[in-house]
Formats: sequence, C-alpha cells, structure tokens
Amino acid sequence: MNMRDDETDAPKVLTYLDVRKIFGSFVALAGVSMEVHKTEVVCLIGPSGSGKSTLLRCTNGLESIDGGEIILDGHTLPRDGRGMRAVRQRMGMVFQNFELFPHMTALANVASGPLTVLRLPRREAEERAAALLEKVGLADKAKSYPANLSGGQQQRVAIARALAMQPEVMLFDEPTSALDPETIGEVLNVMKALAEEGMTMLVVTHEMNFARRVANHVVVFERGTIIEQGPPTQIFDAPLVVRTREFLSHLGWAG
Amino acid sequence: MNLHWSVVWDNAGALARGTELTVLLTVATMALAVPGGILLALMRLSGSRPFAWFSASLTELFRNLPLLLVIYASYYVLPLALGVAFSPFVTALVALGLNVSAYNGETFRAGIASIRKGQSEAALALGMSGWQAMRVVVLPQAARRVLPVLASTWVSLFKDTSLVSVISVGELAYTAMLIRSRTFRVLEVLTAMAVIYWFLGYPQAKLADWLNRRFGVSE
Repeated sequence: MNMRDDETDAPKVLTYLDVRKIFGSFVALAGVSMEVHKTEVVCLIGPSGSGKSTLLRCTNGLESIDGGEIILDGHTLPRDGRGMRAVRQRMGMVFQNFELFPHMTALANVASGPLTVLRLPRREAEERAAALLEKVGLADKAKSYPANLSGGQQQRVAIARALAMQPEVMLFDEPTSALDPETIGEVLNVMKALAEEGMTMLVVTHEMNFARRVANHVVVFERGTIIEQGPPTQIFDAPLVVRTREFLSHLGWAG
Repeated sequence: MNLHWSVVWDNAGALARGTELTVLLTVATMALAVPGGILLALMRLSGSRPFAWFSASLTELFRNLPLLLVIYASYYVLPLALGVAFSPFVTALVALGLNVSAYNGETFRAGIASIRKGQSEAALALGMSGWQAMRVVVLPQAARRVLPVLASTWVSLFKDTSLVSVISVGELAYTAMLIRSRTFRVLEVLTAMAVIYWFLGYPQAKLADWLNRRFGVSE
C-alpha cells in the first residue's frame, strides 16, 4: 500500500497504522497513518492539542497506544517495558523544555546515556560526549552546568545527549518553542546540519520556515487526525485542503 | 545561694564521655535513618501495593507515637519479641532509627515527587530502566532538595537523643543526671548540660540554615 505520492525509494524506518490514543474522554489520536523513510526529515505541524506531540511520545513509548500499530524497521513496537527500553535506545528524543539533568555538567549530560545504558568505560563515553559537544558548537561549555547555559545552548546539549546513543531516528518535540527568539536560529542550524548528514528526523514544530526549507515531507494535524500530508511545496504553496490554508494563514504564513 | 562550679570541673571527664556518646548516637542514627528513609520512600513509590502498604504503616506508626514511648517499648519489647537482650545503646539506636527513618521517608518521598516528570522521561528516553532513571537522575536531585530538611531533622535528633537517658544509655543527659543525683548540685549540672548542648547545637543549626539558603531554592 502506498500512502504517499511523494514516495521515495529509501526503506521505511517508521510506519504508523491507524494509531489511536485516548486520554479519558479526549481522543488525542483518532487513527493516524503515516510513514517516515530513512534519511528523511518529516515535520508535523498543526494547532496545539492536535496530537502531534502525542504521536511522538507514543513512538518511543512514553505514552502507550490504544489502537493500531507502530512499526520500526519492519517490527511492530513491543508494549512491554523491557522491549520498549531496547527500542528507545534506537531513538533519540529532544524535548521542548530540554530536560537536561541540572546536577550534571554538559559533558556528563551527554555521556550519561553511553555510561549508564551502554555501560561504556568512562573515558570512552566522555570522548564520545566531547566529540558531540564539538559537533553542536559547544566544546568550550563541556564543564558548564545547564543553569549557566542559555536556552539555545541547553537545547544543543540536549541534542548532543540524544545523539550520544547513536540513534537511527531522532524525535524532536517542539525543540524551539521554549526558546528566546535570538537563540532559535542556532538550534535550527544544528538540526539542519544533522538533516544534511542524513539523519532520519521526525520534528514537531511551529517553525514554518524550517519545515518549508528542511523537511522532505510535511504532515498537517488537526484534532487527532492527519488532514493533509505531502512535500513542503504542496503544503506551503498549494495546499489541497482548505483547513491547511486556514491554519497557515493563522500563523501569518504568506507563502 | 552558693554555687559550687567545682562539681562541673571535677566531672569534666564524665561529661566529655557523655557528650561523645551523644554525638556518636546522633551520627549512627542518621547513618541508619538516611538509607532507611530512602528505602521507605522507594517502597512507598514502587507501585507495589504490599511494599507501599508496609512502608506507609511503618511511617505512620512511628511518626505518630511519642519518641519516649518508642524508646521504652524498644527497651521492654525487643528482648521479649526477639529473645535477645541488646545493650541499651543498640536499643536506643533501634528506637531513634525507626523514628527518624519514618520522618526521613516522608522527606525523601516529597523530594522525589518534587522532581518534575520530564526529568525521568528524559532518562527513560535515553533507554535507562526505571531504576537507573531513579538512581542517576531523580535521587541525586531529590537529595539536594531535601538536604535542608535533613539538616533540621539532624538538629532535632541531636537534642532528642537526650530521651534515651531513660533507658540508661550513658550519653550526656544521663551522665549529667547521674552527677546531679550524686552531688545534689542541680543548678550547676543543668547549666553545664545546657552550655554543652547549646554550643554543640548552635553551629549545627547555623549549618542547617546555611544549607537551606544554599540548596533550599532550586532551579
């Protein structure tokens, strides 16, 4: 079955089949189907509360799903704790509020996954962490604590921390929504560089310029369903669905 | 009224040994009650009903009984229940340890609960197990947050150790009362006791205040 007309040849990394999630009486996801292919950047856009973040959180099992299935590399995601833990190690997650560990230096934050989960020797874990801090442009902040870093710097450390587990896919949950305007750019640049290296990325964002320029595929959410998906040229220049156009004009998107 | 301060100097050695035991009892009780408190908090938050119930019962029992009663009860009940007679020092340690563990358990529980959910989610997202997330991410932060509370518990404990004099543990209060009953110099002995407790307690209280300022407000 081909869900998309902008289908690439790259293998599917993530497949969502009729995914449902209900919180009490609130339907967060009312049957969502989509795909993420290897090396693709897929942006999820739409009004807040439309289910984008919930889909991300279901992907790495921070929320359980109530129906449908999520398939990673051909295998349906397990629902048990142990199985989910193994899956999480293959996905990096970046949170809106960074969630750096405040009692650890930037270097220790980045090394924490390899050290605790992969049980690498300390030297090896810290070498890996130092290289990643260098990559996000924060080599000189290795010994700083999160409280002494700007929001943009904290988020770049958080990206390095997720990359330290050498994930197959990166999940970004509104990574710039909590940032001051002047630090948004530095985070988006790191994400763009990551995309250019071929990282598979699933990004929930309100940064339409980023989605327009970096995404291969854009998915528009509304009230727990996908109302439209396609290449950015379609979504931003010639949306097929009226509500997509309405949502974008609401954000002041001029096309 | 004649005061004979010589009674204090003549018994300085005994008072020093009593003071030493008071400090030792405080340190040993805390050394038991910090891990004890963490254990109680983890059991309470474990999600296992029997563990949570056991922890809650123990906590509420010892938090709501007078310490003096717990000390007497340990002294008379422990040997009957276990068939072994412990030294007064060990008995005191059990009683104080149970009491302070109950308080510390509540302190740690509040501390752990105060760490926002996103922190453990970030740890889980890296692939950590629930226990690893607790050990590496949540507990170290909770420990910092509860440090000021633990410090004031410590100061209370230091003074409350005087209660175990009722089961003839030879700490400062017991020693002082012994000197009093031998010499009948009540005012001199009480004054000496007050001075020793105050000069040892005051820096501890100041340290607790400092910890409160240093770690009380976080993030």
